[in-house]
Amino acid sequence: MHTAMLRLAQGMAVLGGTVLSLLILMTCVSIVGREIGLGPIPGDFEMVEAGVAFAIFAFIPLCQITSGHATVDIFANRFPPGLSRIMRAVTELVFALVLILIAWRLGSGTLSKLNVGETSFILQFPVWWAFGASFAGSVIAAFVGVYMAGVRIAEAAQGRPLIPEGEP
Amino acid sequence: MSDLAIGIASFPVLLALIFLRVPIGLAMFVVGLVGVNLVTDGWTVALGRLKTETYTTFSNYSLSIVPMFLLMGHFATLGGMSTALFKAAEGWLGHRKGGVAMASIGACAGFGAICGSSLATAATMGRVALPELRRYGYAGGFSQATLAAGGTLGILIPPSVVLVIYAILTEQNIAKLFLAAFVPGILAALGYVIAISIYVRFYPDRAGTRPRVPYAERLRALVAVWPVLLVFLLVVGGIYAGWFTPTEGAAVGALGTGLIALFNGGLTGKTLIESFHVTARSTAMIFFIVLGAAFYNGFLALTQVPSELADWVVAQGFTPLMVLALILVFYLLLGCVMDSLSMILLTIPIFFPVISALDFGLVNLLDMQAAAVAEALQNGIPEGVAPEMIASIREAVANGVELTREQMRAIDINVSQGRVNRIAAEQTAIWFGILVLIVVEVGLITPPVGMNLFIINAMDRTTKMIETYKAVLFFVASDIIRVVILVAFPAITLFLIR
Repeated sequence: MHTAMLRLAQGMAVLGGTVLSLLILMTCVSIVGREIGLGPIPGDFEMVEAGVAFAIFAFIPLCQITSGHATVDIFANRFPPGLSRIMRAVTELVFALVLILIAWRLGSGTLSKLNVGETSFILQFPVWWAFGASFAGSVIAAFVGVYMAGVRIAEAAQGRPLIPEGEP
Repeated sequence: MSDLAIGIASFPVLLALIFLRVPIGLAMFVVGLVGVNLVTDGWTVALGRLKTETYTTFSNYSLSIVPMFLLMGHFATLGGMSTALFKAAEGWLGHRKGGVAMASIGACAGFGAICGSSLATAATMGRVALPELRRYGYAGGFSQATLAAGGTLGILIPPSVVLVIYAILTEQNIAKLFLAAFVPGILAALGYVIAISIYVRFYPDRAGTRPRVPYAERLRALVAVWPVLLVFLLVVGGIYAGWFTPTEGAAVGALGTGLIALFNGGLTGKTLIESFHVTARSTAMIFFIVLGAAFYNGFLALTQVPSELADWVVAQGFTPLMVLALILVFYLLLGCVMDSLSMILLTIPIFFPVISALDFGLVNLLDMQAAAVAEALQNGIPEGVAPEMIASIREAVANGVELTREQMRAIDINVSQGRVNRIAAEQTAIWFGILVLIVVEVGLITPPVGMNLFIINAMDRTTKMIETYKAVLFFVASDIIRVVILVAFPAITLFLIR
């Protein structure tokens, strides 16, 4: 189970990284085109914006499953392990709820853009495509978030660590 | 409760959550969400904002620099440039007393020029330099402290992820901030070298000696670092010269370091996937804090807390320098427990309006007018201007009297109070940004939770953490002295952008 979830999160990270790399290449091609007089790739920055937003949503699952978020540990490290596990479970549960909230609202935002039929300024692609891609990423992020909440709740219930924090 | 009271009450709640190990971005997001609900009496506004705010935050064109810089930093690590930089610096400095440590600082500075992250710089240079330091008889604590301090140069020397975030929060020009960070970054490296030479004078037995390297070999080692120089000049020079936007510069840098890594054999399918994993984790971490901060700061703005606080500070009549000093000390203390990006995102929206409301006297109307007059008249008196007019202008400048609009129009200059205020606001923002950048970076090397110390210490567990803590105090002292110098002489930071 955990291996499958980890593979999913890593797969999303590689997908996001690939999109990011393609955007980097495209941006460089666009600069060269502009400098040698062929002109930039039209709407290059629109693609960067939409692509990077998707990439970031695709990056969240790996951060979630490896507990990569920034925290201040210095005080909480002195709590007894039992209390620590319960707090972690609560935190992770809230995190999962927030990720669900984000996905839900982004889905609703995507539908609004679809209904309004808004298009991007230069390339004239429907804005809901970009929203939809990010929405897909946010759904997987929420899915992984719920799984991690389950893991931490199970840890608190059984009173022992199941999945270590940090990188696999 | 009034909105203002809700805003103020949110601080202790937020801090309590953060200290209970709630991820910082999550804590800000939740407090912001609940806060907006309380201030706007219901969930409609908060939920409505969430429809688009996550997407618009993540698709911010300027912020897309961040994942690109992170990928660039990882490619730089894979490209083997850290070894080349260390070899070059070691060749020139290694034979001095404490020279291998000085060389580590030099190599960190060089690596910082192509890497925008402190942790990556510390980790990369640590792997290369720590074994060498130990081989030449440098004490463990001293070696680790050197590399942890050297790592902070990754962010001080542009490109810098933290400066990008600061620029976006305060709506400043990224290129100008990078340029302003350059001299303080060099000063940081020099300050660390001085700290090392003082340290080895106190503890001569903690640094070994190393034979001189012949000049031919030194030059060869120096030539080997050309790709670093090329990428740095292309990225930072190109951004500043206006060849491309900072985001495009980041793309060029990522491609450049990627190509170097490819040619050196460091970039393979396996390491590329690793790079994506590392970039994914850091990017998601940073952007979740950015998102939480955007939400929390949106809530704070609704409550008017930042502007009320700024008004209050001004009304108290504190001197501007006293306020600045208090804020910087606050960062030093908070830096002991919190990471730099979180601190910046958490506090800049509150402190920046305060700093902006104060007058540090960085620019002066009369001085600027005098300079403009001198420039306008340096090629002789412009044609068709009455000599009496020129005489009256010269007299006004000599007596320190503000020029009239007619006088300025006569010699075709325009230095109004409004323009001077705009320049003063920009210079204050940039100066404050560099100062904050330095003090939050000190947090990376201050006990008990300096991240750089942990990263380096994890590489060689035979050294006790307490030894590293003791040695790093020399570097912290160097940082603090540098901050005092930069506060006392703003021109050091600002002369390049004037």
